[in-house]
Amino acid sequence: MDKQKIAGDKVPALPDLFQGEAGGVRLRSARCGTCGTCFFPEYHEQHRPGCSREGVEKILLNRIGKLASYTVQHYMPPPPFRTEKDITPYPIGMVEFPEGIQVVGIMVDYKEDDLVLGREVETTTFTLYRDDKGQEIVTWAFRPKAH
Amino acid sequence: MRNVSIIGVGLHPWGKFPQNTFVELGVQAVANALQDANIKWQEIQAIASGIYIWGGNAGHISGQYLAAVFGETGIPIINVYNACATGAAALRTAYMSVASGQVDVALAVGVDISPEGFLSAKSDNPRQDRDVLRWRMVGMPNPAFWALECRKRMHKYGTTAEDLARVKVILSQYGVLNPNARYRKAYTLEQVLNSPMVNDPLRLFEICATSDGAAAIIVCAADKAAQYTSQPVNIAACTMGSAIYGDPTIRISALSAPAKAEAPMLSESYSASQQAYRIAGIGPEDVDVLELPDNSSWHYLQYLETCGFCGEGQAEQMVREGQTQIGGKVAVCPSGGFSSFGEAIGAQAVWQVVEAVTQLRGQCGPRQVKNAKVAMAQTYGLMGNSATTILTV
Ligand SMILES: [Zn+2]
Repeated sequence: MDKQKIAGDKVPALPDLFQGEAGGVRLRSARCGTCGTCFFPEYHEQHRPGCSREGVEKILLNRIGKLASYTVQHYMPPPPFRTEKDITPYPIGMVEFPEGIQVVGIMVDYKEDDLVLGREVETTTFTLYRDDKGQEIVTWAFRPKAH
Repeated sequence: MRNVSIIGVGLHPWGKFPQNTFVELGVQAVANALQDANIKWQEIQAIASGIYIWGGNAGHISGQYLAAVFGETGIPIINVYNACATGAAALRTAYMSVASGQVDVALAVGVDISPEGFLSAKSDNPRQDRDVLRWRMVGMPNPAFWALECRKRMHKYGTTAEDLARVKVILSQYGVLNPNARYRKAYTLEQVLNSPMVNDPLRLFEICATSDGAAAIIVCAADKAAQYTSQPVNIAACTMGSAIYGDPTIRISALSAPAKAEAPMLSESYSASQQAYRIAGIGPEDVDVLELPDNSSWHYLQYLETCGFCGEGQAEQMVREGQTQIGGKVAVCPSGGFSSFGEAIGAQAVWQVVEAVTQLRGQCGPRQVKNAKVAMAQTYGLMGNSATTILTV
């Protein structure tokens, strides 16, 4: 698998978690070839008890998933979370992917009535802040799927 | 294995004590427990002490620091950590030391002084510490995890905002009556529903605070307990549980969970409580007093089901009918719960058992559960840590 590439000057806040151009961002996961467990991030292995742990393969999760839950956070978390400005209130979504795993992330580009369980969402990025070189430091995020 | 009794309990009241050291708080709790058991320090034959995570090197060997104040006697001192179940690990270690026959009297102690403001990441390597990921990439304090599960529950069972608020109303009326509680004010449903939204759907008054406090328990071989007290409390089970593969709960620190459930929610707590029921030969229907970990209103509802006090999706009804109040089917958190005390990581699981002991001795005054014979303390800790203690008189 290629080293992750993000469009333009965007740099992930931490490596090996997601990759892809804008509009095609995908979460990096891994699946055990023996017990079938899918985990995220790809480096935090989890297996069914007794599994031989053979054939762990890196995969990219589907770009699209369904909103399984969400919370709207009304306060800024402490460091090391860092954003350019106060982004509250902001939703954190829990998204179910077809690979059989639910992953949590910040939600962007939403309207109030998009926050409905079962709604299709797609993976994207969210710019947390710009570093001193002017590069956008990003995390993964979810937004309602365009119709 | 021998039968084991609790012969003494002691607390330092809960609150905020930034001017104090963890040693000062711990010493007061231990001194109170020694006095309660009418026992001399030199008679303690083993100590299990909860690690105080914010105390640097001293905190990691908290038991040694506490023992030095009372006078070092050469006994085994074991320092333990299991997140919010740390105090339970200390109690279980002390219990096992006596049950195994190695010693006759042992002390369990837990202390915590929370840092100011939010708890946050303690390392910066995401490859070995999941905490780094949740803080840096999503900005996710603990209540966000609880809110995600709470939303799922509301969607599944139709839990209402009033159901969540009612939990605080019930707990606050007990907090008023508990002299050791940090928050001693009763709230109405309307007041709780008007408290600020923190992590929608959870409001400020529906989430517990972080507090400072200390708790200590002295355990003794049951056949020697009468030397010290006329009111020994029997430990019928003292178990710990970890998570089971396939648990669908979004666990604090993790950013993912399996989509398909292959194990019960909060499986670590399910594991601990099921072990305890089996060992004690006691079921939820026999329990008079239940101290459960009410970190949020969601926990209060979910734990009633996880520990078998009602069926799936029935907790709201049980609460609406008053079945979880003093005089109901089971008195839940007649101490006022974490809601009135706040979390004190290393101390809270010991404190829950202290409250349960005080009920079984009949010393709770206006919040006393009449004729309480069986009490249970249920603990929850992040990343799959749990413990259950069942007590009888
Ligand atoms: Zn496997």
